[in-house]
Amino acid sequence: MTTLPPQTASSQAAKVPAISVDGLHKHFGAHEVLKGIDFQAYDGEVVSILGSSGSGKSTFLRCLNLLEMPSAGRLCIFGEQVGLKKTSGNLAIRDQRQVDRLRTQVAMVFQNFCLWQHMTVLENLMEAPVHVQRRAKREVRDEAEAMLERVGLIERADFYPAQLSGGQQQRAAIARALVMRPKALLFDEPTSALDPELVGEVLRVMRDLAAEGLTMLVVTHEMGFARDVSNRIVFLDQGRIAATGSPQQLFGGGVNDRFDQFVSRFNS
Amino acid sequence: MDWLFIKDIFHQMLLGIPLTLQLTAISLLAGFVLACLVQAAVTSRHGLVRGPATAYVELFRGTPLLLQIFLIYYGLGQIGLLRQSFIWPFLREPYWCAVLALSLNTSAYTAEIIRGAVQAVPPGEIEAARSCGMSGLLLRRRIIWPIAVRHGLPVYSSEVIQMIKATSLASIITLNEITGITYRLASDTYRVIEIFTVAGAIYLALNFVVSMAFAILERFLNGHLADRRA
Repeated sequence: MTTLPPQTASSQAAKVPAISVDGLHKHFGAHEVLKGIDFQAYDGEVVSILGSSGSGKSTFLRCLNLLEMPSAGRLCIFGEQVGLKKTSGNLAIRDQRQVDRLRTQVAMVFQNFCLWQHMTVLENLMEAPVHVQRRAKREVRDEAEAMLERVGLIERADFYPAQLSGGQQQRAAIARALVMRPKALLFDEPTSALDPELVGEVLRVMRDLAAEGLTMLVVTHEMGFARDVSNRIVFLDQGRIAATGSPQQLFGGGVNDRFDQFVSRFNS
Repeated sequence: MDWLFIKDIFHQMLLGIPLTLQLTAISLLAGFVLACLVQAAVTSRHGLVRGPATAYVELFRGTPLLLQIFLIYYGLGQIGLLRQSFIWPFLREPYWCAVLALSLNTSAYTAEIIRGAVQAVPPGEIEAARSCGMSGLLLRRRIIWPIAVRHGLPVYSSEVIQMIKATSLASIITLNEITGITYRLASDTYRVIEIFTVAGAIYLALNFVVSMAFAILERFLNGHLADRRA
């Protein structure tokens, strides 16, 4: 493993990481997908998680909000350890209410958008704030509309997801995550299901969020985004963090052979 | 065509509609509640719960409703223990035997409809709900059930129509619903063509109303599919 010190290590030393995992393992049956991952993301960091298919990057991200249950390891969200208990197979959730609460703080954007098809865009946005966070409907509606304005979908507020393009659906999904006022956002290949000409509009929204200082963990194949927008790259290879560092360090080459090979496939 | 005769039998058959609808409504209601329990048991993690529930579904779907009615009406009376019990006043009545048989029968079918509808809820939409902090009853109430209802409704409308027609079997155990009255008229007058045609028309009209009601309900619930329907 090649680890380079983060550029702002001194300022981060005292801070509590936004998301922190120790010794994260995950196996599906006999197949071990994650083989012990130690990782911290700090407040305001934009981390791109790269790796070839099968490297475990999506599984890793999904373990962070427990959509996938780890087999072993420790997970802390903003300093709060997530209660996990041992079972015969994977770990299990100890307190569902704690997990539900933390999930609204670490929201997720999916590859396939996963908007609720039977609700309008506005209803999609209002669902969790009203029914999970129990915030006042009127206030949530105002905030949801402001959020739609921001991602350029206000005139689509009363449309159903099936009536939108992929890019519009993904922007709506990002807005749905943001209305929960999360402290961090997980992106699971947010542009991989999009037609090439629609990728740009989604990346533009993500760039804006990064510029505002939102903590983001992004599993992506968009090398441009990883290089230009993120503060840090995590390169997963065969279930381990093979290299991590700033985009300048890693994309400069010569840090990790597997990473250089991986990147060269995108440039050809 | 003897319109006077047709008008006369039509009026007599109309008197059977309340009983037909009553049998249908009570059985559907009881059957639905039972189906929810059976469906929960069928999808249970515990084999000891799942096994009997699966057997129940297969048993009631796999045997003719008429036999189920016979077994309950004629068969249960031969069990001495039952005749002494507090439910005997009910099971002695053909009405409650019909309700019981129809309820058990529809619950098996409805359990399967519910299972299919819940399984058809896209996993991604459930995951999205979980990732928004939903779980347990909230997740079911806000996401899974509303989507499942939309999947299950078209199939369930067929089940309702089947049930309206199935109540005609209650005539065999002396109930005077539409078919019971029809049969009596037919054996009194032997004018079978008019009589059975009019009875058929009444069932057709009832089921047409049911179809329309479900179509309206579906249209109301499926605004999100409006474009695809066009």
